[in-house]
Amino acid sequence: MLGDIITPDLFAAALRMATPLALAAIGGTICERSGVVNIALEGIMLTGAFFGTATVLATGNPWLGVLVAMLAGMGIASIHAFASINLRSDQVVSGTAINLLALGVTGFLMELWYGHPGTTDPIKVLRPIFGFDSPGGGFLAEVWRWVNGIVFSHTPIVYITIVIAIVAQWAIYHTRWGLRLRALGEHPRAVETVGVNVYRGRWVAVLMSGALAGLAGANLTIEQVGSFTENMTNGRGFIALAANIFGRWTPVGSYLATLLFGFADALQIKLQILRGIIDVPPQVFLALPYILTVVVLAGVMGRAVGPAAVGQPYKKG
Amino acid sequence: MSESHETLPVQRAWMGALQKIGTPLISAALAIAIGSFIMWISGYDPLAAYAALFKGAFGGPKQIGDTILRSTPLILTGLAVGYGFRAGLFNIGAEGQLFMGGLAAAFLGVLMVGMPWVVVLPVLIIAAALAGAAWAFVPAILKARIGAHEVITTMMFSYIARYFVSYLVVGPLKSEGMIPQTVELAPEAQLPRIQSLFSEQVLDALPILNLGRAHMGIVVAVVAAVVVWLILKYTTLGYENRAVGFNPWASETAGISVQWTTVKALCISGALAGLGGAVEVMGVHHRIFDQFSSGFGFTGIAVALLAKNHPLGIIPAALMFGALSAGAGTMQLEADVPQKIILIIQALVIFFVAAEEIVLWLVRRRQKEAMSHAG
Repeated sequence: MLGDIITPDLFAAALRMATPLALAAIGGTICERSGVVNIALEGIMLTGAFFGTATVLATGNPWLGVLVAMLAGMGIASIHAFASINLRSDQVVSGTAINLLALGVTGFLMELWYGHPGTTDPIKVLRPIFGFDSPGGGFLAEVWRWVNGIVFSHTPIVYITIVIAIVAQWAIYHTRWGLRLRALGEHPRAVETVGVNVYRGRWVAVLMSGALAGLAGANLTIEQVGSFTENMTNGRGFIALAANIFGRWTPVGSYLATLLFGFADALQIKLQILRGIIDVPPQVFLALPYILTVVVLAGVMGRAVGPAAVGQPYKKG
Repeated sequence: MSESHETLPVQRAWMGALQKIGTPLISAALAIAIGSFIMWISGYDPLAAYAALFKGAFGGPKQIGDTILRSTPLILTGLAVGYGFRAGLFNIGAEGQLFMGGLAAAFLGVLMVGMPWVVVLPVLIIAAALAGAAWAFVPAILKARIGAHEVITTMMFSYIARYFVSYLVVGPLKSEGMIPQTVELAPEAQLPRIQSLFSEQVLDALPILNLGRAHMGIVVAVVAAVVVWLILKYTTLGYENRAVGFNPWASETAGISVQWTTVKALCISGALAGLGGAVEVMGVHHRIFDQFSSGFGFTGIAVALLAKNHPLGIIPAALMFGALSAGAGTMQLEADVPQKIILIIQALVIFFVAAEEIVLWLVRRRQKEAMSHAG
């Protein structure tokens, strides 16, 4: 029985499930490091997922879909940026408005363009890059089966995400941009004093988070599901925020945190196969990622300290 | 110079009043205007759409009843979110507490068969409030003790509540038959329809009272709004709630326990959302199932913001969103506009209320123009 659960596929699925969460979480990290809370990740992801799908439906080109998803993410994120940076709105409330707006706009356009609510037609998806065989027999073949299954079985964005996590980590801690970003979230007044435009710095960060969350949406539809369903993000944006806190506001930390959630998700799918053998209702597994999020937050909060100026609107001096 | 000195206090008072009532009104108007624009560029006729929407919401006593019906839970979830906001807390997970309140009412209502309604109704309502409060308790403690953000925790709890209810209605609490739902409440446990309170003669004489499905839950909701208003205005509990929302550091210095106030605020907020679930179960569906709430907890956020968290202002704000949702069906049917436009309008209302600066900027510019004309 255990052999049915613990397979290369389980770990591969964990990586896969972690990917949209990780992209959104890294977006959240960059955004919050600049001092802007981004509750809107959920809605941005949904927007990216929809426009990515719509593009692939119209053109048949998945990569164009990925690009449009990122642009759409930046587009809707710019509303959040304008509200919370220029208009100094409450950032959490503005984010809530974006989430609702995304739900409304995607649902509205769905009916306008495709004539029905629910789910779109299937789209052309991005395939795994490598697609090596794993012929059976012998110890080495078994090792190769695991390596191939876990490492070489993925679609492009899964690998891109790992690269993004590492590059973002390096950029935040080893470049001038990163230094300024961190300072923006800790002491924006000081940053302005040395001649950096606080508004512009925060705008760039919010737009980057928009692009990343949009990419997360593209991963969901163009790589994983192969179609768009209304409200398909299902709270992932909020789980990503929790992962960002668990990862202590660092990109690599966020990525590792989402692996935990991805693993829980992969496990719940696997365990559902065993229904009938162990009599646990499927809702228990479905609720697992959300329960895990609360447990993780409860465990890590109090010890994890976020950027000092996060959530505070900044008024130019 | 002397003239401007005389007009200043008047202007300030005017600005104050405008900010209180004007911003929400202008926000709602802006949202509806942008909604029209979206309909227009999408090839729909906004005038026809709003006419159909108005007809569906106020076109007759039944339609008015539908608007009241949909406003009822919104008043309660609006109060829930608003009470949290007044303490500086964002209970984004009112939907989950509403589910637990509805569950408590649906569960106990079936158990208390044969008891008189004077016992059953209060027990169910109190139980629902307690269930809602209990569901908010863990996020409240996590917020107060270690600062875990209530937006994430209450949101997660609302997903957990939905799966919990979804498990119960297909499993242990499922009634006979194919549909996953609980057993119907006994008549004593149902909130009566408003029109059932009047005799045939009265209804014939006053057809406006034929309010269709509207039920007595509206009384529960309005009473709750008045009680919350009194609490906030006249009690220590309400004072501490507002003080912590206004300035937690000053409150702590003044001897108010911020932690304890946080816990109380989120639990009261949860209790109000729980009531929202109870009226929906006891007044409309008479049982609970997966989809018994059409996002009332989330719409409550827009209601609270539009009312600027004022308990009495929440009643008209809820009526507005209730009317939008009651008229949406007719709008889709007669003007062919997807109902989702309502969500967009809702989001825009939140956005404009939050971005008060835009609205104030518009007001100030008008003022400046007026003054320059006068000068």
